[in-house]
Amino acid sequence: MHCQPTATSCDHDMLSRRSMLTRSGMGLGWLAAAHLLAGDSNAAASSGSSSLAPRSPHFAGKARAVIHIFANGGPSHLDTFDRKVALETYAGREIPGALPTERRTGAALPSPFTFSRHGESGLEVSELFSSVARHADRLCVVRSMHADVPNHEPSLMLMNCGDARLVRPAAGAWVTYGLGTENQNLPGFVVMCPGGYPIKGTENWRNAFLPGAFQGTYIDTNKRNVDELVQHVRHPILGEGMQKRQFDLTAQLDRRHLEARQHDPQLEARLASMELAWRMQSEAGDAFDVTREPKHVLDRYGDGVQGRQMLIARRLVERGVRYVQVWHGAGQPWDSHEHIEKNHRRLAGECDQAIGALLDDLVGLGLLESTLVLWGGEFGRTPTVELPNDAGVSVASGRDHNHHGFTVWMAGGGVKGGYVHGATDEFGFKAVEKRMHVHDLQATMLHLLGLNHERLTYRHSGRDFRLTDIHGNVISDLLA
Amino acid sequence: MPSRLQLFLCLVWLAIGLSGGHFAAAANLPGEPDAAAAAFFETKVRPLLVAKCHDCHSGDTSEGGLRLDSLPALLTGGASGAAAVAGEVDGSLLISAIRRTKVAAMPPDDPLSSEEVAVLEEWVARGLPWSGPGSGRGDDPLAAPPSMDSRIASAQASHWSFQPPRRHELPATPDSIDAPTAERWHAPIDRLMLRDMAAVGARPSPPAEPAVLVRRLWFDLTGLPPPAGEVDAFCEAPSQAAYATLVDRLLASPEHAEHWARRWLDLARYADTMGYAFDGQESNYPFAWTYRDWVVHAFEADMPYDRFVTLQLAADLVAPPAAPADLAALGFLTVGRTFLGNTHDIIDDRIDLVTRGLMGLTVACARCHDHKYEPVSTADYYALHGIFASCSIPEELPVIGEATPGPEADSFAAKMQELQQRIEEHTQAVYERATREAIAHAADYFLETSRPRARGADGRTPVLEDGYELQQLLIDRFTRTVTGAAAEHPVLGLWTQVRSVGDDTFAEATRAILATWEQEPDSINQAIREEMLSARPETPQALAEAYGRVVMRASASDNTAEDTPALAAVRTLLTVPGAPLVVLPEEAMRVARREERTELRKRERDITSHQGNAPGGPPRAMVLQEASVQNSRILQRGNPGRPGDVVPRRMPTVLGGLTAAENASGRLQLAEVITSPSNPLTPRLIVDWAWRHHFGQGLVATPGDLGLRGEPPVHADLLDDLAQRFIDEGGWSLRWLHREIVMSSCWQQSSALRDDLADRDPDNLLFARANRQRLSWEAWRDSLATAAGSLDLSHDGGPGIDPLAIENLHVRSLYARLDRQDVPGMLRIFDIANPDTAVHVRSQTTVPQQSLAVLNAPLMVEAARRLAARATRDAGDGGDEQFVVHLWRAALSRSPSDDEVAAGLGFLTTEAEGDVDEFDRHARLAQAVLATAEFQYID
Repeated sequence: MHCQPTATSCDHDMLSRRSMLTRSGMGLGWLAAAHLLAGDSNAAASSGSSSLAPRSPHFAGKARAVIHIFANGGPSHLDTFDRKVALETYAGREIPGALPTERRTGAALPSPFTFSRHGESGLEVSELFSSVARHADRLCVVRSMHADVPNHEPSLMLMNCGDARLVRPAAGAWVTYGLGTENQNLPGFVVMCPGGYPIKGTENWRNAFLPGAFQGTYIDTNKRNVDELVQHVRHPILGEGMQKRQFDLTAQLDRRHLEARQHDPQLEARLASMELAWRMQSEAGDAFDVTREPKHVLDRYGDGVQGRQMLIARRLVERGVRYVQVWHGAGQPWDSHEHIEKNHRRLAGECDQAIGALLDDLVGLGLLESTLVLWGGEFGRTPTVELPNDAGVSVASGRDHNHHGFTVWMAGGGVKGGYVHGATDEFGFKAVEKRMHVHDLQATMLHLLGLNHERLTYRHSGRDFRLTDIHGNVISDLLA
Repeated sequence: MPSRLQLFLCLVWLAIGLSGGHFAAAANLPGEPDAAAAAFFETKVRPLLVAKCHDCHSGDTSEGGLRLDSLPALLTGGASGAAAVAGEVDGSLLISAIRRTKVAAMPPDDPLSSEEVAVLEEWVARGLPWSGPGSGRGDDPLAAPPSMDSRIASAQASHWSFQPPRRHELPATPDSIDAPTAERWHAPIDRLMLRDMAAVGARPSPPAEPAVLVRRLWFDLTGLPPPAGEVDAFCEAPSQAAYATLVDRLLASPEHAEHWARRWLDLARYADTMGYAFDGQESNYPFAWTYRDWVVHAFEADMPYDRFVTLQLAADLVAPPAAPADLAALGFLTVGRTFLGNTHDIIDDRIDLVTRGLMGLTVACARCHDHKYEPVSTADYYALHGIFASCSIPEELPVIGEATPGPEADSFAAKMQELQQRIEEHTQAVYERATREAIAHAADYFLETSRPRARGADGRTPVLEDGYELQQLLIDRFTRTVTGAAAEHPVLGLWTQVRSVGDDTFAEATRAILATWEQEPDSINQAIREEMLSARPETPQALAEAYGRVVMRASASDNTAEDTPALAAVRTLLTVPGAPLVVLPEEAMRVARREERTELRKRERDITSHQGNAPGGPPRAMVLQEASVQNSRILQRGNPGRPGDVVPRRMPTVLGGLTAAENASGRLQLAEVITSPSNPLTPRLIVDWAWRHHFGQGLVATPGDLGLRGEPPVHADLLDDLAQRFIDEGGWSLRWLHREIVMSSCWQQSSALRDDLADRDPDNLLFARANRQRLSWEAWRDSLATAAGSLDLSHDGGPGIDPLAIENLHVRSLYARLDRQDVPGMLRIFDIANPDTAVHVRSQTTVPQQSLAVLNAPLMVEAARRLAARATRDAGDGGDEQFVVHLWRAALSRSPSDDEVAAGLGFLTTEAEGDVDEFDRHARLAQAVLATAEFQYID
């Protein structure tokens, strides 16, 4: 086994080199062929004998970590980052060219929220995200996103796993597969969602055919106690001192065992993993324990679960966690089919301050340059009002799902700040300028991390799979 | 035996061989461009093609059949012919298209700039220089593939795994091998392996120590550690005879069947749920466990592998008919994910399972396009699709056994009756409610036959002001009755005569008729006559309402003193069962309100859940059955919105292409083709599968992939010989295969690392030593339970248990209930198989979360506590020293060394001070031992 004795990489997270080569789509023959063709080899796989040890990207990327703030349920772009004056003109009237969505919609519904311009870029943001808007000149707002269907389940799968229906690994799993993670004392891919699972549950952060180590580690941030947040982080009975003596005895027995076995790297790895686990007990406890933050910091993030989980996200990224996903809540909270004014105001009220504070801190700590923050949902919402129906809408006061056009924004990690990419039509129904599919977003995110989405592959079922399947283009307009 | 170098060369050769085929296909290919032309192509032309053309004209996406990502493809062209002719700018279609001088102006929406047009003109003028990928020269990976027919023929003719496996004459022992080794290495496996080793000058390792061997054998065959006494007994007089006896004993044990069943369940992507279900829908598979238990029983009975597979594909179709209990085998096909009911995905899962899972042939890629690498076409895929599309899962699963009589069965039956009663009550409430409301809205139904209300855009029946929704079912029936009535009809005659009369003359027409009623009372129903003469309705609305009042009165007066023959006649006409306004029991759910339907589903789920989860009910089989036979259409790019040609049901061409019988799905034939002795893939796949689990490493480097993309086996002769003997000598007996392997000296080698192999063969391709293996999640947990003295080997299957619950520590991990939607993190961390796809071998990772579980998991802590109690009992009056000895023996199947006794005693002494009761020093020592690497690894 190759085992580089550097500080972090003699990780002993073993996938055998052989299996890694075979699986990463680079059997010996491929390596040879690639070498003959271009003298090229896949850095992500060939350097690594390990599963979670940090690995070099394909090329130098600006982002080292990702924080994906998932406004699950589908936030309305029209009430947040994509102002449409025409909806006021057409208020209460049918708009030309309305498109089919999940349910029937009627007349144009103007946004009940006030928009204003922010920063030197003059980015228009609604009052809902006034804290985020402080960072207008750092935001790269994509107004021309589109997905495939107006339903939550397939759209969540598409956004997270790159395929609407089939069992594919999540983006976070792909990224940790490609890059490993920088802190071996913490999971590489952390998923926070307060109060339970979003729709589709664990499928949103699954490893699928990738090894289990790349599966997202789910944390219910409604829980405050660190022992409840991180599984097995403490002994149920023993205190640290007593457990240390027990741990030392195991280590002593293990060393004896190892000496009699030619220091088999496999056993060495196991020993090292025990030592890592020991350190993880304190480090994980520390990372997830926001009570260690001073009061003024807690105040800036706000009192509530969103503040707490954004703060944990920051603490994780500070400590070298590769991929953090922060969901708004169980189920599909942003799904405002009805009373969008009240509901969106409440939802944004819960998270805007916390996201603003997160961006403040990332800037202050100098981490934003290397951290890609992504905000968005699985799709947007219709400019037309959803009509009363027997699915529970009794008052026409909300918007239906809209996959034809929606907005996400990114910040940091090498994206262009104060930049708006693409546009929806006059009413915000459909992306029309510089249309950007979810696969393009994924390709671009991987690019920012230094990964070529066409080369980040894994051999399974006789073919090489990738996050973007056979699709996706890196959208270079977004790159700083 | 090819060296790594030879292997490497072999693969390069394969790659070149493949592309050589393309090279030949594209005639007159321009040669390698010079440096300047190559630079021009790479900096100007390729970026332009990629940016402007490849979206629609590359790879799978070849609009109009044209690809512009490879020169041969470009020269071959698409539907309109060659896209360009070298040197002929004006004669090249590509140039006309970008100049937009033709109808097919390209790109359609976004014309090229004049500079860009000039680049491509220059390119054509310079003779289409193309460098690197796509050039079609040499080993270009982007060259257009040869035709499917020729690929199939070529694979059948030359790919190793499509050739029938054959016996190999056993080679003489190489001279380089010493006599004692030669004597030990006498089994066929050994002799072929020895030859391969000797070919590169390697020698095998010495045999493992007896204690190591016994422990390895126990774990390998049963997934459980040996009792220390067994190890001692074997080590006192180790011999091949004693070893063989032990092998036979373990192979015959139920524990062996259980252990290997779990491995098979990985391949069968077993789980107890269907995956994600919409809110409120049942995702439980209450009877998946009957499949799991069937596999255990089949292994226990050493069912021949061909029969084992056949029953799992077609237990319902074999002749003579299989025992009812064997229907459970069909769970193999049905325990997969259900993809929210998407039929194509469900079928895709089954196709992958039977092709890749059982034969190592990756057919599923052909769902969207002809397989890029394997000799499998989309037609092959949809031919299999038709087979599964001609099968269905019955509403009610067949009962395959008796409920065990007793109080549990009695209370199960009583509860069942109660639950069915609840459904009947609910149904009755619904149709009674619907009937009551319909009668109360009789006037509205009358109006529907005269002035029907507008339907909503979605075609739904209108909702009235009071919230009542008219029922189409009743409208239809009512309309038939009313429009069928003659003008003289005693009840409906009036309505019949005027319902089509316009609003302006309605009052007049009605008055005229009522005027005649004064004279001829007898022909008119008296109740109607009285009502009409008193109400004198002059509008359709008023008339309908008058009718409605009579209907109400007729309905209400049944069995009262108010009743009259006239009212009875109205009742008989409209409001008795069978009459138009009465909802029949079987119609209840068609008129049910949303909440009523929800309630019914809930009550039905209560039954399913009761049948599946309450003890005392009869077990059922998760069968697939024959449905109406249908052939599937090819779905272009796998898109159901783009159906193409119908393909008849048949087997994949590369496996002979046998057409399915006309009146059957073809499932049985599929089973026959897969298990035919002449199928070259099936025996190789299963032999490699077994080998892989015994050795921790397969003969084929790519698990579950025997195709062109897989790597050829390094020990091809050995694999072939074993595969063929598995059929000829073993009669498809897996027990024969296991025995053959564990009786070999190759398997019995020491796992000690060797300096001489470290550089030459770091991946142990030569099998010149045994591989040290880590316990699977199941074996680890079962070992904890064994050490704790808790494991109950008499547990007999049945519904799954929570493997993390302390109270289930006595149950083997195999019997865990697995929710594929929510696999516990602990199981994931320990690398259990992904239950969504056929897994031939689990990935293995070593991550700190595993060690965190070792340090802190409640399961571990409880096992340590019980182990300490057990060792205390075993030690009797022997004090701490005997405690240490018995602790080691219970946990590690061996007595401790003096050093270890000293270490253990030292710990107990130090820890005596400040001991804690809930987890005392003995328990802490027990956990320290359970946490060792030795506990978790097999030498």
